[in-house]
Amino acid sequence: MIIKDCCLYCGACAGVCQADAIDVQELKIVVDDEKCVKCGLCVKACPVAALEME
Amino acid sequence: MMDIETDIVVVGAGPAGSLAAREAAIHGADVLLIDKKAEIGSPKRCAEGVSKQGLIDLGIQPDPRWIARKSNGVRLVSPDQTSVWLSEDTIDLPESGYVLERKVFDKHMAMDAARAGAKIMIRTRATALERTDDGIVITAEHMGEEVKITAKIVIAADGPESHIGRWAGLDCNTKFDNMESCIQFEMAGLEMENNNVIQLYFGSVAPGGYTWIFPKGEDVANVGIGVLKTHTDKTAYEHLMEFIKTCPETQHAQPVEMNMGGDPVGGIVKDRVGDNIIVVGDAAGFVNPLTGGGINSALESGAYAGIVAADAIDSGDYSKKNLKEYVKLTDENIGKGYEKYKKAKEYLLSLNDDELDKIAHEFAKQDIDEISPKSLIKLLIKVSPKALLKLGKLF
Repeated sequence: MIIKDCCLYCGACAGVCQADAIDVQELKIVVDDEKCVKCGLCVKACPVAALEME
Repeated sequence: MMDIETDIVVVGAGPAGSLAAREAAIHGADVLLIDKKAEIGSPKRCAEGVSKQGLIDLGIQPDPRWIARKSNGVRLVSPDQTSVWLSEDTIDLPESGYVLERKVFDKHMAMDAARAGAKIMIRTRATALERTDDGIVITAEHMGEEVKITAKIVIAADGPESHIGRWAGLDCNTKFDNMESCIQFEMAGLEMENNNVIQLYFGSVAPGGYTWIFPKGEDVANVGIGVLKTHTDKTAYEHLMEFIKTCPETQHAQPVEMNMGGDPVGGIVKDRVGDNIIVVGDAAGFVNPLTGGGINSALESGAYAGIVAADAIDSGDYSKKNLKEYVKLTDENIGKGYEKYKKAKEYLLSLNDDELDKIAHEFAKQDIDEISPKSLIKLLIKVSPKALLKLGKLF
């Protein structure tokens, strides 16, 4: 997952992640590649399109 | 490594978490409130509208330090810019009355929890949850150090992303179709026709949601949007920029802050208690499904959770069965109202721009001082017969 600089760490992506693969930390988003099922819902949910699938 | 033992650990110091901590402490429990942020209340993820009566009912005395502005009504704007003005004197408007300064309010709530006896650790991020025979151990990261917090009960107030509930085995995840994608600017230099009402703009301006202007000062307001991503391919940001550019009130305004977040509008999560755990606030879906407003019900859910958890500590029984009192209290006092709002939301989402305009034209003709909830519904059914089908049984 590519996380662009426009990310504000709001957690909308983590909220819709059905695999619980996204952790929103202070000024950091961590995606667990083992849990991620590449469904792309996080990409869609982001208010500013900060996420991009690799 | 640091080891901490406590009766109750509350994860997340938003309004729900802080009030849960305060109530649990008042009712005699040892409470630790943790938050991952360096500053409680910041950044906000919220439009800051709250019901005044809702605060008073929970024993929170309104304080001018965290009230940015009072509102006395609402302006609903249809796609062709027809305005319907409703006054608070005639209609009971949810989540309205005050526009808060959340950064001050959230800190105030946490301070109240501290004064009641709760301990607080900020910059403390939960990283794992493990069950033991009679409790839960939360592992957290605090200033580069690992902390183990052993508690009898965990109150999960960790917002819409809600890891804690899921880690404890609860099915409390928000479904994609129920998550409003939201973004907001706090702006200065607005030219508001009336800066004492909150404004909501409906229709294709915000697919699956609405655009809002919540005044915080003479020429200052939160200007934001929530959209359902099942209803649009554009981002919330693109929709909001388009609105700001075209709305006469905002087109000369300048931003001083940007906020965003996901707003779970699918209603209360059923699976919100388990052995040794209670989920509150946004994490448990305590958000009005129609308005997306969540401060009042988050607070209320937190208060019940704090009291139920402290009682459970007192009785020595932290089982799901004993904590279910929380489910009963929230179903009765919050859930019943939500059913009505959910239907209203479904109806609203079924309307296209033409239908919204037609309804607004009829409503705009009414004298706002004579409008009652009953007369509104009657008029609505006259203009939009499908309202009877979708809403009839509710009113």
